[in-house]
Order: sequence, then structure tokens, then C-alpha cells
Amino acid sequence: MNASSKRIVLAKVGLDGHDRGIKVVARALRDAGFEVIYPGLWLSPEAVVRVVAEEDADWLGISILSGAHLILVPKVLDLLRQQGLSHVRVVVGGTIPEEDVPALLACGVEKVFGPGSPLSDIVGYFRGSQPVPQT
Amino acid sequence: MAPATETFLRDEKDLSSIWDAYERGDRRALARLLTWAENPQYRPMLYQRLRSRTQQPGSFVLAITGSPGAGKSTLIGKLLPGIRQRGHTVAVLACDPRSPVSGGALLGDRIRMPVMVEDQGVYIRSLAAPPGRQGIAENLDIRLALLERFGFDWIIVETIGVGQADVAIGDLVDCVTLLIPPESGDEIQWEKAGLLEVADLVVVSKGDLPGAGRTAAQLQQTLNLPGFPAKPILVVSAAKGTGLSDLVQQLETSPRRRQQEESQARRLLLLAQEILAQRFRERRELVAQLMEMARQQGWDDWQAASQLARGLMANHAADSP
Ligand SMILES: Nc1nc2c(ncn2[C@@H]2O[C@H](COP(=O)(O)OP(=O)(O)OP(=O)(O)O)[C@@H](O)[C@H]2O)c(=O)[nH]1
Ligand SMILES: [Mg+2]
Repeated sequence: MNASSKRIVLAKVGLDGHDRGIKVVARALRDAGFEVIYPGLWLSPEAVVRVVAEEDADWLGISILSGAHLILVPKVLDLLRQQGLSHVRVVVGGTIPEEDVPALLACGVEKVFGPGSPLSDIVGYFRGSQPVPQT
Repeated sequence: MAPATETFLRDEKDLSSIWDAYERGDRRALARLLTWAENPQYRPMLYQRLRSRTQQPGSFVLAITGSPGAGKSTLIGKLLPGIRQRGHTVAVLACDPRSPVSGGALLGDRIRMPVMVEDQGVYIRSLAAPPGRQGIAENLDIRLALLERFGFDWIIVETIGVGQADVAIGDLVDCVTLLIPPESGDEIQWEKAGLLEVADLVVVSKGDLPGAGRTAAQLQQTLNLPGFPAKPILVVSAAKGTGLSDLVQQLETSPRRRQQEESQARRLLLLAQEILAQRFRERRELVAQLMEMARQQGWDDWQAASQLARGLMANHAADSP
């Protein structure tokens, strides 16, 4: 068993102050046996990537409700690559319109959970996907 | 950074290249080793590599403990700038409880520890502390050693606020600071809680709240009796920022516990207990055999436990030196 495959940073990036959704997800993932690191609100992409590095996270879940996902998410992924952290798997949730999903996937996001995604889907996704070595 | 770095972070088994990067001061390698510190597969190797603990003068290791919600994380967050201003680098290990049911954990201490994004002199790591482990994360000893060798001047451990039982930490650190929020008990309760004895320094937290002065006065009466060594009691408000620099100053001059021989021996005892517990989990067959024997032979519990300890320690090829 690889203990490190269970660490997830759940971060809110950008300037909206709603954290109910992400807290619910955090709790559900904890109950599913994951170590969830929750670094708080209003983080810049730089700050999030720093947390990911310090925590040796395997996953980064980004929640964005401000509509700025097409700017912020690629920024985070660029920083991860620049800092040699491209092994970290990135999932995005929040108010993401369907038509923006392909762009996010194209920049390296593994999965997008749009508005109204059932909690069980999200937990099931983390549970179901075993870490795969990327090349 | 070099692409080679990415490969080493991906390759789960490559201890030596991670170790090399760690020795070069790569923070990602440090982060990975702190993760591996809880993996029984790597721990003997890590101890071996850490054998030359040659840091001079070594880190000042501080534990901040106190009941849940006492204000530990907030205080650490507020201490960080002051510690940096004095020119010290600092690492924080922030423990939150692991759920005994799911094994998961929600690690939220670092919300209260904002740092400058570009400041490489601070490193914060969240850890899950299993239930029944006296409020400290497993394998804390080796993690402290990793941070110390990396070169941090200060290492701060936030323990989970288990209040009465969090005593083991005293042998792993230089100084235990106990936080007591105002109006959180009376003299008798404090007397009973073993933590007061372990604490080197007592801080009345949330000093801006009413009752802080009274709590400090009561503590003064309880703790500083004639004939007992005096214990400093400080009132600090993280919210208002009062008392912070006094606290840092007090800490800087605090005596270092880890240098005491007794403390070092007890540290090994903790490790020995861990080895025993680990083997207990791994060697189910042996345990079942011993239980059977105990029944047949009519051993009392003391005898059975002694046999169990002996059995667990015997001929275990995997990690005999
Ligand atoms: N009035 C006042 N409130 C404070 C102060 N410091 C912390 N608090 C509040 O106390 C609550 C708990 O603070 P934390 O820093 O999370 O306490 P903790 O001891 O780390 O809590 P756990 O890690 O959950 O055990 C929060 O709501 C803080 O805002 C202070 O100096 N004054
Ligand atoms: Mg805390």
C-alpha cells in the first residue's frame, strides 16, 4: 500500500468567498479514508502550488466559483510543471460551463466536476482511480 | 528545475536519488521523505542515512500543545513573522486527528498560518495523528530528524489538543509550550492534567478575552509553589498581537530538553514500542500461535505478554541489524 496516494489538497483559488461546497467535499473525502489538506480561501495560484509541494500531495482539487477558471487553472498547471510537480493529478470543480471543459482538459486537468455533481461521483472518482505513472 | 527532478518524484522506489536531492536542499525531496517516514519499508533505511545527525548547533524544537480550539494554529501563524525577523528559518509540523473510523483526516491547521509565497525560510507540513497516539503523529521522531538535518533553525510541532494525555511529546522536543485559554478549568483540573507538569512554559492564549488575567493568576498560584521550579506564565493574544515578542524571546532562551540523556533514552523507548506494535500488526500468525499456547499452558496475562514481546522480537530477519 502506498500511503502517499491518499493525500489530497483541496483549494479554493481566486476571489470568491464561498467555501461550503469545498468543505462538504473535504469531509466526504475524509470519511472515505483520504487525508485532505484544506489550506483556506483566497489563495493565489502560486500559494496553492506551494502548498501542494510542501504537503507532497498526490492530488490537487481546485474549486472555482468566480468564473475565472480559464485563467486560473492553466496558471496553476503551468506552475506545477515549472516546479517539477507534474506528477500531481489535478481535478477541478465549481461553476464550470460545459463548453469550457475541453479547454481545461487540454491544459492538463484530469477531470472536471461541473455544478450539481453528486458527492458520490466525486468520492467515487478519487476512490476508483489508482495512481498511474505518467510519462 | 531539471526534468530529472520530476522523474525522481514520480518513481516511488528510488530512495537514493530522492535522498541526494534532499541533501542538496530540494524542498520537494524533503516533502517526499516526510511522507515516506511513515512507510515501514523505508524507515530503517532512513534511520541509517540519518545516523550522522551532525547538525550544529541543531534545531530548536518546540511543541505547542493545548486542548482543541485553544488557539495553537493561530498562535503559530502569528509567531512565524517574528521568528523570521530574527533571522531564523522555521518548519512547522501541524497535526490534526485521524478518524479512527475511516482512517481519513481533515487537515486544516495551515489555514491559520499564512506565509509569504516566496519565503523559502518557512516550511509547513500537515500530518494526521492516529487516535490513541497521545496526540502526536506517528514517526514524529524521524520527521523531526529529517527537518533538522535539512537545516531549519526552528521546528514547531502543533499537537492535536488531547489535553490530558499528551505527555510523550516531551521527550521528542526541546520545549513544550502549553496553551490554556481563559476560563477553561479550575486549579484542580489543571493539577490533574499531566500536561502541566510536562510544560516548560505556560501561555494563557486569547489574552484579549475577559478572564485572561484571572486565569493567569490562578495558574501562577497553582504552578509556582515554593520549593518547585518556577514555570514562566505568559499571557498572549494572537488576535491583538500582544505578548508575541515576549514569547519568542522566552523561547529563544529556553533550556533544551533533548540534550538530556534521560530524554534520549525515553525517545528510544518510544521507538521500541513502535517496533513492537508494528510487528504485532504484521505477524498475525505468530500472535495467534502465542494466544493458543497461552491457553494451553495456562499462562497468566503477565506471562503471556512477556512471551508475546519475546516472540515478536525474536528472529525477525527483515530488520535485524
Ligand atoms: N479572541 C481570540 N480568539 C482567538 C485567538 N486565537 C485564536 N482564536 C480563535 O480560536 C479558535 C481556534 O483557533 P485555532 O488556532 O484553530 O485553535 P487550535 O488550538 O489550533 O485548534 P485545533 O487545531 O482544532 O485543536 C478560532 O476561532 C480562532 O479565531 C485570540 O488570540 N483571541
Ligand atoms: Mg490547530
